[in-house]
Amino acid sequence: MKYRNKLTAILGASVMLMTSACDSFLDVNENPNNPEDAPITGLLTNSTYETSLNVYRGGSAISNYVQYLASPNPSSSSDIMDPTDFSSTWFSLYNVMTDLDVIIKKSEEQDASHYKGAAQILMALNLGMTVDFFGDVPFSESFNFETVTPAYDSDEVLYSQILTMLDEGIANLQGSTAISMGADDFIYGGDVASWIKFGNSLKARFLLHTKGSSAYNASEILSAIDAGFTSNDDDAQVVFFEQRFNPWAQVAINNENLLLGGWISEQFVQALDGTTYPTVDPRLPLMIGTTDDGEFIGTVNGAGRGDAPEQGARSTLVPGQYYTSTLSPLLIATFAELKFIEAEAALDADKDRAYAAYLAGIEAHMDMLGVSDEDKAAYLADASVSVGADALTLDLIMKEKWVAMFLHPETWNDARRFDYAYKDMDLPANLNPDLNNQYIRRLAYPASEVSRNGNNVPSVTLLDRIWWDQ
Amino acid sequence: MKNSYKTMLLFLIGLMAYIPLYAQQNVSGKVTAQEDGSGLPGVSIIIKGTSTGTVSDIDGNYSISVPGPNAVLVYSFIGYSTKEVSVGSSTQLNVVLSVEESELDEFIVTAFGISQEKKALGYAAQSIDANEITKTRQPNVVNALQGQVAGVQVTNSGGAPGQSARIIIRGINSLDPSADNQPLFVVDGVPVDNSTVEASGTPRGMSNRIADINPNDIESMSVLKGAAATALYGVRAANGAVIITTKKGKAGQVRVNFNSSVGLDNLVKMPELQDKYGQGFSGVRDDSSFWPSWGASFAEENDPNYVYQDNWNRAFDTGLQVDNSLSVSGGNESATFYASLGRLDQKGIIPFSTWDRTSAKFSGTVKVSEKFNFSGSMNYTNSGGNRVPHDRFLERMMYWSESTDVRDYINPDGTMKTYGNTNPIYDARFATYKDDVNRVIGNMNFNYSPTDWMTLSYRVGIDNYTDSREEITPGPTGIDGEVALSSTGFIEETRIVSRDLTSNFYVTLKKQWNSDWNTTLRLGNDVFERKYDRVSLSGSNFVIPGFYNVNNTTQVFASQGKSIRRLVGFYGDLMVDYKNFLFLNVTGRNDISSTLPKSNNSFFYPSVNLGYVFSENFDLPSWITFGKLRASWAQVGKDTNPHILGATFVSPSVFPLNGQVGFSRNSTFGDPELKPELTTSIEFGTQLAFFNNKANLDVTYYKSNAVDQIIPVPISDATGFSSYITNAGEIENRGWEIVLGGTPIESGDFRWDVTANLTTNKNEIKAIREGIDQIVVGSQFGYVGSTVTMILKEGEAYGNIYGSSYVRPDAPEGATELDRDLPMLIGANGFPVRTGDQLILGNAVPKFFGGLRNEFSYKGFEFSFLVDFRAGLQQYNQFGNFLAAFGKQKDSERRNDTVVFPGVLADGSENTKEVWLGQGVGPDGVDYGAGYWRNAYRAISENFVNDASYIKLRNVTLAYNLQPNVLERTPFRTARLSVAANNIILYTPWDGFDPESFSAGAGGNAVGFTGLGFPGVQSVFFTLNLGL
Repeated sequence: MKYRNKLTAILGASVMLMTSACDSFLDVNENPNNPEDAPITGLLTNSTYETSLNVYRGGSAISNYVQYLASPNPSSSSDIMDPTDFSSTWFSLYNVMTDLDVIIKKSEEQDASHYKGAAQILMALNLGMTVDFFGDVPFSESFNFETVTPAYDSDEVLYSQILTMLDEGIANLQGSTAISMGADDFIYGGDVASWIKFGNSLKARFLLHTKGSSAYNASEILSAIDAGFTSNDDDAQVVFFEQRFNPWAQVAINNENLLLGGWISEQFVQALDGTTYPTVDPRLPLMIGTTDDGEFIGTVNGAGRGDAPEQGARSTLVPGQYYTSTLSPLLIATFAELKFIEAEAALDADKDRAYAAYLAGIEAHMDMLGVSDEDKAAYLADASVSVGADALTLDLIMKEKWVAMFLHPETWNDARRFDYAYKDMDLPANLNPDLNNQYIRRLAYPASEVSRNGNNVPSVTLLDRIWWDQ
Repeated sequence: MKNSYKTMLLFLIGLMAYIPLYAQQNVSGKVTAQEDGSGLPGVSIIIKGTSTGTVSDIDGNYSISVPGPNAVLVYSFIGYSTKEVSVGSSTQLNVVLSVEESELDEFIVTAFGISQEKKALGYAAQSIDANEITKTRQPNVVNALQGQVAGVQVTNSGGAPGQSARIIIRGINSLDPSADNQPLFVVDGVPVDNSTVEASGTPRGMSNRIADINPNDIESMSVLKGAAATALYGVRAANGAVIITTKKGKAGQVRVNFNSSVGLDNLVKMPELQDKYGQGFSGVRDDSSFWPSWGASFAEENDPNYVYQDNWNRAFDTGLQVDNSLSVSGGNESATFYASLGRLDQKGIIPFSTWDRTSAKFSGTVKVSEKFNFSGSMNYTNSGGNRVPHDRFLERMMYWSESTDVRDYINPDGTMKTYGNTNPIYDARFATYKDDVNRVIGNMNFNYSPTDWMTLSYRVGIDNYTDSREEITPGPTGIDGEVALSSTGFIEETRIVSRDLTSNFYVTLKKQWNSDWNTTLRLGNDVFERKYDRVSLSGSNFVIPGFYNVNNTTQVFASQGKSIRRLVGFYGDLMVDYKNFLFLNVTGRNDISSTLPKSNNSFFYPSVNLGYVFSENFDLPSWITFGKLRASWAQVGKDTNPHILGATFVSPSVFPLNGQVGFSRNSTFGDPELKPELTTSIEFGTQLAFFNNKANLDVTYYKSNAVDQIIPVPISDATGFSSYITNAGEIENRGWEIVLGGTPIESGDFRWDVTANLTTNKNEIKAIREGIDQIVVGSQFGYVGSTVTMILKEGEAYGNIYGSSYVRPDAPEGATELDRDLPMLIGANGFPVRTGDQLILGNAVPKFFGGLRNEFSYKGFEFSFLVDFRAGLQQYNQFGNFLAAFGKQKDSERRNDTVVFPGVLADGSENTKEVWLGQGVGPDGVDYGAGYWRNAYRAISENFVNDASYIKLRNVTLAYNLQPNVLERTPFRTARLSVAANNIILYTPWDGFDPESFSAGAGGNAVGFTGLGFPGVQSVFFTLNLGL
């Protein structure tokens, strides 16, 4: 018994000892890989970088719809406007918006008004892209984590919030700030004046989408334009890195190595090579590559490359051009775009302003690509281009904007507003039969959302138009 | 227990019997073991009908005085069949004892390596021995359990060398799609790591870490199934435990065993393929087309340059396995040792896939005194190989032209030879992924018994491995016109360091209160720590082509993931034995885990089980030899993964860029109020033996409910997170396990043993947290909307596969499940109408599975076969979907046919419209575009979710043991030759490769998807065992 008592005492003591030692022994759960907090500077770095990639992702998603590009294979699903799962694009958009929401909240605490303003502008841009792709999307119940199945907000209501965010963002950038942006800002390197112009330019872009609605007010757009970009130097863009190539450059490099992609649509080639329009556009050789024989030959959307080999017989993106150099910028919003917005907005009321803006838009894009003054002058002097203020039509503005916005997702918004009425644009071969010989009008809600938030996902077809596209 | 029974019975009879006195006669001799002819020490030799007896000495020699020539001597020894011999006039009696076949049913190694009489267990447990483990020649011991143990489902994830196998005991107990539902593996009392770390890019068929154990070193494996069996291992054994006991040296002479085996692998099964049409589209030949087989008819083309190449048979090699192992063991009464070396080389059926394993083991036991003994073992393994990208291989096989020889893949300058598409064999050869694992598993055990009723035991174990992986995808070499595998080239160096430490101290108190009551109490403390660190460094864009070093790339990225998990447990285990027929076992354990919130990190769970040997109490018909009832109730808690609580920020691996490091909020959010999971299980069973143990039956009913499941619930990205880890549901598993065995014939030298096991499993998701409608376990791609998803919903069974289907107008409104018997709706174009509405197309968890083992022996010959089956499951055949998209399936030979699809039109009338199945303009002048299979068939998931049942001849072995009269003339003590075949499909309705292979790997739960995984193989082995 004595033995047992001793044993009990030893056991008891060791258990107690261990229990007290346990607390610190077991306190090892702090995440060693991911910090619990992150600075607004690092969040802004990633948000600016990822926003530019979201523009690329959007451009990549719609480049076949607007017939910039075409698939080398027949009946490829995006080429024939099949429903495609955009779960990862959806994730990327909301992922950036989540970080922007964090920046907005943190910068309020830190009185970092410039960070808040920049985040609001980027939020408006990312939310705007999301709405333009999908229509109704969640937002009012997002980011606060009160529900795991956030409701979908009306796309029209979200549009008014996008414009409010832009206004607030511009106001915050105009005020004082406790912390200033710098090299952490991949778009402007902390240049606040450029951010303000960017905010106004985006305002003009989103207001233009509402052209078909009763709320449309052209003078509102024109005053936003007045406060917007004033030259190509103001363009909102992220210049890419030795460490990470421009994604369009990567497409071109991959294609060169026969991981096919970046094949140019016949529509695009013919619009610039003198087939569809009387002029040969000097920008063509600066934007896309030629065949081995030095010719520009496009691929018919939906039809595939036919008997053409993988290389050398069709025009594709080729490495090293303006859009496809490893260190090329990804363009988020440009002075050229703003000029075409101005042309369209002014067209009804002020033809002269519209015409001047139209020519300035072409010139701005040509300057961007480095078209020689000679070629530029020749093109601008061509009768089919310099039609004069009175003869300026929406068709012409849209055609030039389509060229100037090469690979940019905004073109799909234009195309839908314009009912895809680009000259000689035809439906792709082997079109998705569910579309009844009509063009696609929205992206299908992603599979991830259908499976995780299915009760809230609106039931729509690819022909159902979003609010401003009625 | 048969033995001990007989012995005890005899003993009792002996006490009561009248002992006549006769003249004394001395008998002496040697008792030897049949297996190897060595002397057996410690054999009990009793004069039948008396209590008089002796034991054999260390060499097996004995000497005994018997009353006279009528005396019968009973020789018994644990693990061997008891033998009775009439003395007659002999004074010299040499006796050979043979191993008792069903010995392992009698004693079973349970928690902490404690060998327990199975009779005393209040729960079901089953084990298999060394012979059954090595017979199948499986390099991975998990596979050795296949079809052998009730309640245990083992699935090969594929046929790659070293590829993982998955083991699930009594169903999937977690709703967490990424949970490891596999049991804990314990080697000589120390838990070891059995994780499978799949390659980060395309799947490569990596190994589960238990594959590092050389099966030749294993003495036995027991499977502890219920929570009752595992209460003592704590949270990590919540899914059961596999207790591996390795071979030990035995006192006596030094033994040397050599084992050599050569195996050949071949594809076990192939989908039915068309061989009539070649490369091109729309029936038009095109030798550079992306489309591999929508082209012209070979017959019509009649061109020797355009013929069927039989690539699917040509692409696969015959796999080869060579396994050699050598062991030396021996010892004396105070110390024993066991040492072994093993080397396995494997070459897979996909060209350039390899795996090898070199293992060395040393273990020893030392008995210092009656009071103190210690033992230890050290196991070193080096394993790894070149893991081919099997999924990509088969995808590229899909794209590869059926009229171009796939084996003609390389140009003289080393670049890829191709008409355009990437050659799968070139890719398998040059896009390498090599792993190199160095692993040490060691343990030390100390037992000290200061008195006869108390033992202090301490066991410390380490399982440490480093896994160095190198992935290389070459970039362009700069030769004109080459088709490179990658435009930039890629290299990734991964280093994984993992270390498990376990410490277990316990006190065993034994007390025999009186002749009726016997108790054993165990109290202990258990500490576990796992440190894991994975560092990857990747580079792309090689500066000098063909020089593979990260320094030679222009873009370099690094990433690191480390973790630490600690567990501290306190436990108690009380066993009460009343008159050796009633056994009560109560356990309790408290675990504290570092992974849970501090307020919830300590949790207690108890268990109780009872065994009642009713055959001891009742007069049963004489043909019932033994009968026991058992019941158990047990709980077990479960923690979660380390470092998941709360919200965190991550720095995406692309940074730094321009000297800036970006941050983004992590898309996973761990509930800060997380509680431990709790599984409650009950089990009832009976164990019966008949006809003097000639037949036995074991029946178990089990039911387990796991509540407060910790699940990373995929949530709308719009919430700001994509995944929310929280306590979110309950899952129930219930079913029956039946084991029936016997020895139908035992006459002379001939013996026939048979064992059958059958398991049923029914699974239900009882609850999912409010606000969460469903949990997506996984999904797999199918063309044009035929992607299938495994979704968990409340009230449904685990494993339902959802996807698109044909419209069936007669299906009831709101039906969630597909009814294939209803007529299909045919559209105005004459083709069946598809719906993208997601219906349940099948369920991937088998409802029944089991095995049947037959063993025959006659003199030196042994013949055995093991048949196993699974039934009541469907899975998604991604191969089928791809084959249909590319016009490679047999059915597409109908491409020039005109048919009428059976079904009804929208107005209810029967369809009579004739349609053409081919591409382009049909004979009726209608343009059918890309044709029936591409436009309609491949878009419908229902076509690819099929019955994946099978009956397989898992193993058939024919062996010959050289007889003593022959062996006498050789230097060998034993010699055995055997030939075996594995994994031969006897029956399956599945059209595809081996339906057992699946794409997720052993660690994943999305088992219902074949993916384009490594096809299963069938094997033939030739084996030689020699003993010195």
